[in-house]
Amino acid sequence: MASRKNEKQLSSGTKDLRILLIDENTHRADLVTAALGDSRYAISHLASPSGTLLKQVDQLQPDIIVIDIESPSRDILESLNTIKNINPKPVVMFSSEQDTDTINQSIESGVSAYVVGDLEPHRVKPILDAAVARFREYQKLKTELSETKQQLSSRKNIDHAKRILMKNRNISEEQAFQTMRKTAMDTGQKLDDVAKTIISMFNTL
Amino acid sequence: MQMMIKPEKTNITIGFSPLTDCAPFVVAKNLGYFAQWGLDVTLQKQNSWATLRDKLHAGILDAAQMLAPMPIASTLGLGVAPMHVIAPMILSQNGNGITLSESLVEEILAVNQISELVFPLDAKLLKNVIEKRKQHGSDKLCFASVFPFSCHHYQLQDWLLSGNITFEDVNIIVVPPSNMVDSMLSGDIDGFCVGGPWNAKAVRGGSGVTVITSYDIWQDYPEKVLGFLSSFATSHPKTVLAICAALKQACTWLDSTPNRFETAVIMSREGILGEPLEVIAPSLLGSCLTKKGLSPRHVPSYNQFSTTLGGLDINRPDIKHGFWLLEKIKNCQQISADVETDGVIESIFRSDIYAQLALLIDKKG
Repeated sequence: MASRKNEKQLSSGTKDLRILLIDENTHRADLVTAALGDSRYAISHLASPSGTLLKQVDQLQPDIIVIDIESPSRDILESLNTIKNINPKPVVMFSSEQDTDTINQSIESGVSAYVVGDLEPHRVKPILDAAVARFREYQKLKTELSETKQQLSSRKNIDHAKRILMKNRNISEEQAFQTMRKTAMDTGQKLDDVAKTIISMFNTL
Repeated sequence: MQMMIKPEKTNITIGFSPLTDCAPFVVAKNLGYFAQWGLDVTLQKQNSWATLRDKLHAGILDAAQMLAPMPIASTLGLGVAPMHVIAPMILSQNGNGITLSESLVEEILAVNQISELVFPLDAKLLKNVIEKRKQHGSDKLCFASVFPFSCHHYQLQDWLLSGNITFEDVNIIVVPPSNMVDSMLSGDIDGFCVGGPWNAKAVRGGSGVTVITSYDIWQDYPEKVLGFLSSFATSHPKTVLAICAALKQACTWLDSTPNRFETAVIMSREGILGEPLEVIAPSLLGSCLTKKGLSPRHVPSYNQFSTTLGGLDINRPDIKHGFWLLEKIKNCQQISADVETDGVIESIFRSDIYAQLALLIDKKG
């Protein structure tokens, strides 16, 4: 269902999603590339990545990396998150293992990587569609979470700064808030930034 | 020999990485030690540590040969959803080496105006090269380890630090062991820290110079361990003991040099590492090939699986080593400050399980 909806929305024919396919099986890679010929996916294939994989990721900036779960290059991808400060890339792993679900449960529950079954050319498009939907959903949740965290921290800062002003200038809460708001408007800063400045000034005094 | 325990599960799949220090698994299988303990073991070769880990977490593998820091990373959820993995037995130590490309070694000789290499190589000589490169605005040197959570990674870092070189001064990437030599030949990397047979392979082929071994960097710290899901160990305690017992016998058997040569023969004949005897055998015989044309170095504890010296048992997990590894993970900033680590090491390095094993093997005679 989800994949059909995506298809409809994005049937413009433009190749707006870059896929990096890491597969030592060149024949399979060709079939996959052909199967995606008329889709929104632009495929780059890498047969023997080793040392060049990081460069490729850096140059290509793929939206999704598709890799055989049995490829030695998995450890290179693993290092993208921990060693290099490269944005983590969504990774779709394909596996001929019968029980891909159990592997999925054990990986970061489908967060930045998940496992699908065998890479059969006719299944590739729906798999990628589902992956895109899934990663976008995750990205959305992540953004929402970080915004919520940001709001919470900003509210805390503003309260803290208000209390400092109230105590130091002996003014009411409303007056303290108005002072901060005026400063923010006069200097074109965010209220949170003004609050942070007040807190840091108070800390250094 | 008499069977003392009855494993709850007899059909066992164990994941391992095709490296020289997988020897205990090869020996336990080939000499029938697993069978003696009532186990029918399938050894499943894994191409990457990440996939080995994921399969262990998923229960597709019952046990796995792991890099010593991996159970800590699994349990703390570093780079993966947290899963409690235990290490009731240490399998090997002192098996890694750092190899530099021939051209980097030439540069080291030229910049330092020396004509001879002394092994283990002082990293300060490399520091001078890095300084010179900085002055000339040349590219940073690039080194590879095998996995973010690996002794290789921390040994590389410690060796560089011994010459006042930080990870900021160089590029560090991960390359699968079997691709190391090719990556160096193609110029993608200038050096690497890896286990056998890949250091020897680089030297035999004339593309690299092995300048130091992990024995010289950290003497006698666990490098490979036997990992189980904690939940598996709880529900299959006798199976865990049987697997450990068979591997302990294999490690003990590997203490003798003639036996080690036989193991090298088995590994090359069965194509386990995909490399010939001349590349597999040296490190198992305490020989560190250094540079084409130069004599090998005698490193008696290269690839150590057990010891009979001074009553020390290197197969027994030691929480002190666990804390040391955790410290390395922290030093590499691979863990955020808010991750709770209290009690974690004690729950992973389970010497209590290993202690039961000692009793069992004694009884078995």
